Amino acid sequence: MSKSVLTVDDSPSIRRMIAMTLQEAGYAVTEAVDGQDGLTKALAQPFDAIITDQNMPNMDGLSFIRALRQHPQGKGVPVVVLSTESEEGLKQQAREAGALGWMVKPFTQDKLLAVIKKVVG
Amino acid sequence: MMDDMGAIFREEVRDLLESLERGLLDLKARPGDMGLINQVFRDLHTVKGSGAMFGFTELAAFIHEFETVFDRIRSGDLAAGPDILRLALAAKDEIPGLVEGLPDPEGQRAAILQGLRAIMGGEAVAEGQGAGADEAPVAVGEGPSRLWFRLTGAALAMGARPEIVLDELRGLGATQVVADLSDLPPLDRLDVEACAVGWAMEMPAGVTTAQLEEVFLFVDAEWRLEPAVQAAAPVAVSAVAAATGPATGAAAPAAPAGAAAPAARADQNGTTLRVPAERLDALMDSVGELVIVEARLTELARQSRDPALMATAEQITRLAGGLRDATMTMRMVPMRSLVGRFRRLVMDLSDKLGKPVNFSVIGEETELDKTVIEKLADPLVHILRNSIDHGMETPEERAATEKPREGLIELSAVHAGAEVLIRLSDDGRGIDAAKVRAKAVAKGLIAADAVLSDAQTFALIFEPGFSTSEQVTELSGRGVGMDVVRRTIDSLRGSIEIDSKPGRGTTVTLRLPLTLAIIEGLLIEVAGERYTLPMASVQEIVELPPEKAVAEGAAEFLDIRGRFVPFLRLRRLFDCAGEPGAAQNVVIVQSGEVRVGIVVDRIVGTNQTVIKQMSKLHADVRAVSGATILGDGSVALILDVAHLVGMGRASGEAGAQMREMAA
Amino acid sequence: MSMSKLKSEQTLTVVTLTLGRQTLAIPTRFLREILDPLPVTRVPGAGSQVPGVVNVRGSVVPLADLGQALAIPDVGQDDRRRFLVLDVEVAGEAATVAVAADAVHEVTTIDTQTIEPVPAAAIAWPPEFLSGLYRGTEGFVLLPDLGQIFSNLANRPQAVPL
Repeated sequence: MSKSVLTVDDSPSIRRMIAMTLQEAGYAVTEAVDGQDGLTKALAQPFDAIITDQNMPNMDGLSFIRALRQHPQGKGVPVVVLSTESEEGLKQQAREAGALGWMVKPFTQDKLLAVIKKVVG
Repeated sequence: MMDDMGAIFREEVRDLLESLERGLLDLKARPGDMGLINQVFRDLHTVKGSGAMFGFTELAAFIHEFETVFDRIRSGDLAAGPDILRLALAAKDEIPGLVEGLPDPEGQRAAILQGLRAIMGGEAVAEGQGAGADEAPVAVGEGPSRLWFRLTGAALAMGARPEIVLDELRGLGATQVVADLSDLPPLDRLDVEACAVGWAMEMPAGVTTAQLEEVFLFVDAEWRLEPAVQAAAPVAVSAVAAATGPATGAAAPAAPAGAAAPAARADQNGTTLRVPAERLDALMDSVGELVIVEARLTELARQSRDPALMATAEQITRLAGGLRDATMTMRMVPMRSLVGRFRRLVMDLSDKLGKPVNFSVIGEETELDKTVIEKLADPLVHILRNSIDHGMETPEERAATEKPREGLIELSAVHAGAEVLIRLSDDGRGIDAAKVRAKAVAKGLIAADAVLSDAQTFALIFEPGFSTSEQVTELSGRGVGMDVVRRTIDSLRGSIEIDSKPGRGTTVTLRLPLTLAIIEGLLIEVAGERYTLPMASVQEIVELPPEKAVAEGAAEFLDIRGRFVPFLRLRRLFDCAGEPGAAQNVVIVQSGEVRVGIVVDRIVGTNQTVIKQMSKLHADVRAVSGATILGDGSVALILDVAHLVGMGRASGEAGAQMREMAA
Repeated sequence: MSMSKLKSEQTLTVVTLTLGRQTLAIPTRFLREILDPLPVTRVPGAGSQVPGVVNVRGSVVPLADLGQALAIPDVGQDDRRRFLVLDVEVAGEAATVAVAADAVHEVTTIDTQTIEPVPAAAIAWPPEFLSGLYRGTEGFVLLPDLGQIFSNLANRPQAVPL
């Protein structure tokens, strides 16, 4: 049974890039287009990890994580937040909101795989 | 894979640019709108972020300063003034070139950034890219060391997994791992979300604190690394690797979700699929083939008189119909996708010409086949340009005629039956029919004594080489364009009409078929040859009165409920041999406001007409707009109703004149 | 296609056919397939050079009469008549065109050195529509310049006000 990852990003290209990279490495990937969509999907089925962008329409990454952590089935799943170098302060807020880790854009496919391996094994 | 990604990224950029342009233009009207500001920021942010991801570093660097500016606008630090918006729009125009890696020989981009910095008061807009000072790795001692760690706070609830951490440590060479249960509380006080267990282990020589920081990067943990031999004071201590105190994660209240702007996204909830256009075209082709084969099957089933086969054929007909409708719906695109660029054009032109214009759009959600939309862009741009360049007066001229200084241009798109009507109206000076006429005579387009209605006179504007502007302007050019407009609309099987009142304005109406792929057709027969008329243009079918069975004179009319309708005989028009049978039918077709009768031998019936384009070798045959394959495999030509109506109207008007003279 | 382009290869593989009493050769690289005559739908007002369209496997393809373009007198048809479906370029765009042949003979390879220019004195054929000719077993074989012929047809002025 392959590990499942939810990627939440409003940018189709980043979403696809993450999905394709992880799928090639044997993960099952589900895509969501914003925080709201991500929340719906994260609560509908268990994931081994979630990667979310911060800046998205409808519901941003931090709000998504906070909402997720309120639900019993949303606790315990590791969430990695994508940030940019100009969002240093975000790491702190992300951890307070309940994110496990972060990844700074731009990142390489290798970096992505390393981070995911780090959170789901 | 990165090639695929490039394509996806380009497509994403196209969408983002559309949204960005819209946002910037709307911001001009509503500078304080936080929703818009957030949207613009987000679009810039995404272009930059995704661009950097896929190696478009130049693009990312270019956008960076604008992103920073809009971040400041977002935080209320700065106002979205017209200069910033203008520069942002100019910057937006540079993005496609940056994506395609085109050079910038005239230094546009640098000039834009310089302009931005000038507005920002000379300060470098963006702070330098944070120089992440890498600390030199510190190795602890010479020999092996001892590591102890424990997850803290809500680490478990946040998804941290001690076994993964242990795996990573083993990867660094950890041995003799033992659990430290000294802090384990009694069972009744055990907090299942906290991790009360610690671990201790031996680490080999040479393991650095930097390596361990990397291991604990994402984990709220306490850890200590000390030389193994003398179990003395710890050498390196890190309380909580990830810098927060007892994390509030699990207990944190959810922030209201409304923080971000509720900008509507087509793909909200992920229920929208993005499909490359070619796949839709391929699907449409297959559906077209299916519809043809289905017609063939129905024909065979009918001939066989086998009830089971007929029932099956009927089911196939129903299914093919459903599939056809579903496929055509998929190809429908709202006008909105075009409107953004028109807004921009109007703004640029009105600025450049000093003619303030209020541009309003009605029916942005009206949908058309994607091919129609694609081909429609250029003609509409031409018409819009002409409207502002030639149609609009200057504010002074307008004031003199007691019109509001600001001109009005309205673009509307509405469905009417199987057609879409696209209207572009302005309240400008209108077209001077006499001037058009004089020019047409001077250019030899019409005879000096030609009798033309106003509509016919205005239509001359679309003749090749015609220009109404007294001076050629940079914007509307030399009359190239308007004839291209008509050619494009013709190729879409549409028609174009101009209505204009001197001093009051001009309305250009485009009539376009909803789809180019499959239409409902009326199959007719003339001298053993079969033709198809688009059902959407058929008004009614009447019998040709016996007294009119034989052609008489040039122009002929039918009296349809008290109104004279000119008619054409296809036998004569198509130069058919032989004589018609006793009962001929007249199909009354309409294009625009004009009705014309078409005399045919026989009505065969209605059918699903899969439109095939005629080749270039038949481009000169204006009466035929396409062809279709019938159930028996033969080809039937699709008649161009707009063209036939034009011919019928011309002959009708000539006939009306003759009657007047005879009277 | 110019003579020099024809001669850039040592040999040329062609399919030979007759129109009226004239033998023609068409390079096989243009040839998609040879079909028994198909029902032709007349296109009113299209003129005699491209008088109609045919259904070639679900595509509507114009049917051209090369005999008209090359001024070859028609001598009637019999059951040897065939349609050749050609992939050619018409005014700069790839297009599929069917041409009628009174009979199709063989696919053969000719030495391009044997191709001669059309003699200026040969007033029977419009030289602008011929790439060249060669001596076959039963008289001259014409190599029509398909690109020229079709592009000329696509750009001809509107003949009939239809």
